[in-house]
Amino acid sequence: MANILVFLETDENGIIKASEEIVSYCVSNFKNSQVNAAVILSTGLTQTVKGQLCNSGLDNIYLFINDDAYSTELYAQILSGFLQENMHDVFLISATPLGRDVAPRIASKMNIGLTADCTEIGLDEQNKLLATRPTYGGKLMATILSKTVPQFATIRPGALKQTPLQNEKTVNFVEIHPEIDHSKILCEVISFQRKNKESSDWTSADIIISGGRGLGSKENFELIYKLCDLIGAKPAASRCAVELGWADSAIQVGQTGSSVSPKLYIAFGISGAMQHLVGIENADRVISVNTDKNAPITASSDISVIADAVTVLKSLINEIEPETENARKN
Amino acid sequence: MDKNFKIIVFIKQVPDTDDIKWTENNTIQREGLDSIINPYDLSALQTAVEIKKYRKKNAKIIAAAMGPIQANDVLKEALALGADEAYLLSDKKFSGADTLATAYTLSQFVKTKVPDFDLIICGQQAVDGDTAQTPSSMAEKLGIAQITCCKSIEELTDDSITALKDTKDFTSTIRAKLPVLLTIDRQGTYINPCINDYIRAQDTEISILGADDINADAAKIGFSGSPTYVKRAYRALKDRKNKIITEDYISVLKSEISLAKEKENCGNG
Repeated sequence: MANILVFLETDENGIIKASEEIVSYCVSNFKNSQVNAAVILSTGLTQTVKGQLCNSGLDNIYLFINDDAYSTELYAQILSGFLQENMHDVFLISATPLGRDVAPRIASKMNIGLTADCTEIGLDEQNKLLATRPTYGGKLMATILSKTVPQFATIRPGALKQTPLQNEKTVNFVEIHPEIDHSKILCEVISFQRKNKESSDWTSADIIISGGRGLGSKENFELIYKLCDLIGAKPAASRCAVELGWADSAIQVGQTGSSVSPKLYIAFGISGAMQHLVGIENADRVISVNTDKNAPITASSDISVIADAVTVLKSLINEIEPETENARKN
Repeated sequence: MDKNFKIIVFIKQVPDTDDIKWTENNTIQREGLDSIINPYDLSALQTAVEIKKYRKKNAKIIAAAMGPIQANDVLKEALALGADEAYLLSDKKFSGADTLATAYTLSQFVKTKVPDFDLIICGQQAVDGDTAQTPSSMAEKLGIAQITCCKSIEELTDDSITALKDTKDFTSTIRAKLPVLLTIDRQGTYINPCINDYIRAQDTEISILGADDINADAAKIGFSGSPTYVKRAYRALKDRKNKIITEDYISVLKSEISLAKEKENCGNG
C-alpha cells in the first residue's frame, strides 16, 4: 500500500480541474493506496471546497487556511513543513504555472528528486512511482524513478483522463491554520490576478479548432474564432501562431502550453511540431488540413485534408453559417 | 545606480531538438546532432544586456554554463552577444546530473565565485528537458527570491526589483530585495553581434572550473548526487489511421463535427 499526497490548487471557484484530474486518476487507479490531499485556501473558499471534495473518494484532506496571495516561498514553506512531519511515499502536484513554480522549490528544500510535467503515472509492485514524461521537445518519452521519498512529480494538466468524482466513502477533513515564518518569505506580492476562466478552461472542450502558420495572417486566424462560434467549439493555436502574434499564448497547444483531450481536434495550417503532436496525443480524433502531404501532422492524424487551410475554413463557414442561422430562427 | 551590478546568466548547450534523427531501434541518434545555445537562454542574456544598458553600463554580465568542454562554444557566443566574463563548469564528476544536482552545482559556483551577485537570470526552461526546475531549485539553495515567467521589470533600483510575472493562469506583480533570480520566456532575438563583438569574444578567456574549484560536495553532484534516474525511454506518439483526402472534404468535415457533437450530447446526458 502506498501513501499518496496530492496537492490541490484552487482558484476563485474552488479546486481547479487539473487537480481534480489527479485525484480522480489516483482514486480510481491506485485502489490499494491511501490517497490524501492538501489544499491551501482562503477562509471564504472552505465550504465550497469541502462541497467539491465530499464525494472524491479521498481518505484525508488537509485544508490549510491562509488568506495571503500566492507566493512561491509561502506555499513551499507550508507544504514542505507538512511533508516533513507527515511522510508520504508519493507527492503529486499539477504542472500548472503555479505547480511548476513551487514544486522545484519544495524538492530543493527537502533535497528530493522531482520529475516534471508527467503525462502518465503508475506504481510498480514495490510502490515505486513510475513517472513518464516527454523529453527532447516531445520526441522521446522517458519513465523516471526517484531514489528519494516522497517520490515527487508534477502532472501535466489534461494528460490524465478524468472520471467524475462519485465515491460514497466518507472523507476526513482536517482544518489547519498554518503558522507562517514571515522572515522566510523573501518577496512581497503586490498583485495577484487569475486570468479569466474562458482562456484556461478551453483544454477540456469536446471540439477544438486550432490554427497555425499556414493560415498566413492574423485576419485569417480570425476565421478560427468564427468557426468555433458557429459550432460551439473552442479555439486553439500552435506555437508559431502565438509567436507571430495571431493568438494569445493562453490558447497554445503543446509542450509548454497545454495538453488537450477533445473528442475532435481539427488543425488548420499546422505542420505539427513535435510539441504540438504530443499535446494532442489524447484527442479521440484528429483531422488536419494542410497543403503539404508530408507535413509531420499527417502521420498523427486520423484524416488529413490536403488543401489550402484558409480556403477550407472559408468554405466550411459558408456552408455552416446559413444552417446555424436557420436553426436560430426556428 | 552607483553600484556596479553583477548579473549572472546561466547558459545551457542543448541539442537542436528540431533536427533529431532516429536510429533503427527508435533511440535518438546522438552523433552528428547539432548543439545550440538554449533559445530561452538567449532571451535571458538579452534581458541582462538591456539591464546593463538601462544602468548606463554600470553592470557586469557573467555568463556561466555547465557541460563538456565543447560547451565553450555557447559561452563564446554569449560573450559575443554581450557577456563580459564567462565560466565553464566542466568536470567528469558533474556528468549525469539531474535538476537537483545541477542546481546544487550552479549554486556552489555562485557562492564561491560571485557571492556578491545582484541578479541571476535564466531561461525559463531548456528545450531538451523542458523541466523548468533548475532555476527555482537553485534559488532555494541560495536562499533568494525567485520570479519565474518574468514578463517585464517595472522597477529596478540598487537594492530591489519589482517585476511582472505572467503565466497562462495568472499574472502577479512581485517586489523583492536583491539578490533575486529571474526566469525569462523565449522571445524573439534581436541582438546582432558585429565582427568586433566576435573578436572580443575570441580574445576573452573562459575560466574552466572543476568540482574542487567550487567546493562541491562529491555526494551532491553528478550521477551520485541525482535522486532521479531514467528507467526506460521510448519514442513518443501513437499511430493514427492516417487517411488522406483531397476532395469532398467539406462534407467529411461537417459529418465529423456532427458526430463529435452527438457524442458530446450523450456525454452530458
